[in-house]
Amino acid sequence: MLGLNQGLYTVIAVPRRASWRGRVAGGAGAALLWAAAWGGASFLDHHVDLANQAMLFVIASVVASIWLSAPAAFAFALACMLSFNWGFVPPRGSLAVDLERHAVLLAAMLAVSWLIAGLVWRLRAQATAARDAARWAGRLQALGEALRDSAEPADQARPVSEALAELGGAPAALMLLHDELPPADSAEAVRVQGAIDADERAGLWLCLRQSQSFGPGTGRHTEQPAWYLPLRSRGGSHGAALVRLADPGSASEICRIRAQALCDLLGVALQRATLARQSEAAREMAQSQGVRNALLASISHDYRTPLAVILGAASSLQDQGERLSASQRAHLATQIVDEVRLLSRMTDNTLQLARLDAPGVTLRLDWESSEEIIGTALAHARRFDSDHRVRARLEPGLPLLRCDAMLLSQLLDNLVDNALKYSTGPVELVVRHQAALPGETSAAHVVIAVRDRGAGVAPADRRRVFEVFQRGHAAGAPGAARGVGVGLAVCRAIARAHGGELRLRPRAHGGTSFELWLPVVPPPAEAAE
Amino acid sequence: MMRVLLVEDDRELRTTLRDALALEGYDVSTAASLSEGLALWTHARSGPDLVVLDLGLPDGDGETLLAALRRRESTPVLVISARQADGQKIRLLDAGADDYLVKPFSVGELLARMRVALRHRGTALKPALTRYEADDLTVDLAAHRVDLRGEAVHLTPTEFKLLARLVRSAGQVVTHRQLLADVWGEEFTEHTHYLRLYMGQLRAKLEADPADPRRLLTEPGVGYRLAESA
Repeated sequence: MLGLNQGLYTVIAVPRRASWRGRVAGGAGAALLWAAAWGGASFLDHHVDLANQAMLFVIASVVASIWLSAPAAFAFALACMLSFNWGFVPPRGSLAVDLERHAVLLAAMLAVSWLIAGLVWRLRAQATAARDAARWAGRLQALGEALRDSAEPADQARPVSEALAELGGAPAALMLLHDELPPADSAEAVRVQGAIDADERAGLWLCLRQSQSFGPGTGRHTEQPAWYLPLRSRGGSHGAALVRLADPGSASEICRIRAQALCDLLGVALQRATLARQSEAAREMAQSQGVRNALLASISHDYRTPLAVILGAASSLQDQGERLSASQRAHLATQIVDEVRLLSRMTDNTLQLARLDAPGVTLRLDWESSEEIIGTALAHARRFDSDHRVRARLEPGLPLLRCDAMLLSQLLDNLVDNALKYSTGPVELVVRHQAALPGETSAAHVVIAVRDRGAGVAPADRRRVFEVFQRGHAAGAPGAARGVGVGLAVCRAIARAHGGELRLRPRAHGGTSFELWLPVVPPPAEAAE
Repeated sequence: MMRVLLVEDDRELRTTLRDALALEGYDVSTAASLSEGLALWTHARSGPDLVVLDLGLPDGDGETLLAALRRRESTPVLVISARQADGQKIRLLDAGADDYLVKPFSVGELLARMRVALRHRGTALKPALTRYEADDLTVDLAAHRVDLRGEAVHLTPTEFKLLARLVRSAGQVVTHRQLLADVWGEEFTEHTHYLRLYMGQLRAKLEADPADPRRLLTEPGVGYRLAESA
């Protein structure tokens, strides 16, 4: 602790060097004090004894020590004593001292002045150190918060390196590992903040690999003109810092401790980011595994039923064809055609879901009009909607949508198909413009809703219906439609691939509204005639 | 008798389609690969009247065959594609294929597309289709006149050019790129938002319910199709 305190006084706590203006003002203040003491002593001359006059000069030197530096305060105290001796102590007008009568007085005067100047100096140094420590703590806290909030701590390398440069008094540099420690030193594996030469680079790699600090005061490679500090965390080092020292001879322990604390702060943040990346990768892998399993389950379950119908109808035609009536044959053929269309839709959905789930999927984005997208959905629906149950309603003045028309068409086909299957009443396609989401800071949206008056989705199922291979309870009922196992899942995947969302909302008087929320992108300038 | 060249690598589908087309009175020759199709095309004394071309062929790109066909004649080419081959399908349409069908399709759909394609056969040599009549809409390109329910409809020059381009390929898909190049110019082929705007205006003038069009049909992600005239 003692050594630490000494370091504190010698390096950190030296008050900032005063400007020449400050020095002149301090000197002038001291001169004024001296003049006041001299005046006071002259005024009291012959009224009081010499010891009382001496006190005036002691007070002057003590007060001046509040702002003067220690050597200046000591010199001022000496000057006060000497001038008092010269002006007031007999024989006056000389520095000669009557040893028997005044030597002790003058010595005590000087000793008290110096002692108090020393104490004041020490007090000031402690106050400065405390201020400095508080400032540093604030800075460390701010950096810690910045690192905590940053998804990519490597982006905070610059402020950390600036703080290190301040500690060392010369430009600092950082070397950060991108990921795992490579078996051999390689420039690709790290990111370097600040300029370093080949020796410094080698030193940083050594520091990183050994997770140990080098340089003055560390007990290792103390001849170096800089500190090499590892960016440590519990799992090892994630980089190393080079703190160049302006004056390696007087580098203090406290500075190095602070620099190491800063480096460790960055090291822990880097470790946290690495772990977050690894867990994200693991989560993605588990998710893609989950989707694959769900797709396999969907194929094995959903595909068997239409295949069974097709095989049944086709084999009946094959084996009994001649004995069947013309209308029976036509019925079987229609069954085959219908089931094949269903299988085709399911295949499209399953393939699309697998495609959208793959990393780096690209959409064929283009400017599309809501009117055309709805028109296409209506045209497709008309093939299965002999009763004209599907109606569309569009708000006027809708903006163009930035989307993949084929995907959006697939989404609406699925939703309309579902609505037709699971309800008997009218099905509405409603498109409206939503200026901004209430309570959120998001941009404007276009909302495309597919509304039916069916039995609705039970509250417990509202989240589940979007999962792969889930159907509402109604699906299990006799006569319910089959084969929508991946339908809603692919709809949601399509919505999300567009930066939008697919929501399910129960309607006030029964039925369901599936709402596709698509963010509005500012369209390009309109065409001139 | 109309001669059809069917290029399809799947044996079952090839046989089924051949039989179905033969039943409709077409003279069908089949090829299982691009090279075979190309050989049939080059060595035949007179080319087919129509080519039905599958995209998923074992020996490469349908574009090679299309290029070879286009070098000699304007024989209509009907592209059959799986849904995953969207990009290639549009490239072929842009390169001059006449229409497309996505697998699986019914024989009825194939026959309907073939009829339209054959009707347009040779449009590059013969005078192009200049008149379109469907229900209560009449478009006379030569007279520059559009009538709806017996009354003249005023179209802006761009709207008319757009409609005229669709009329010339009535019943067939016209890609975004083709429309933009023919109506606005080659440098505008990426400006699909022009198309959305003017198609919207055309629908407002020519459709009873623009949100449920019966004439100016959208082929999502591909282009537009003017419903086949009655």
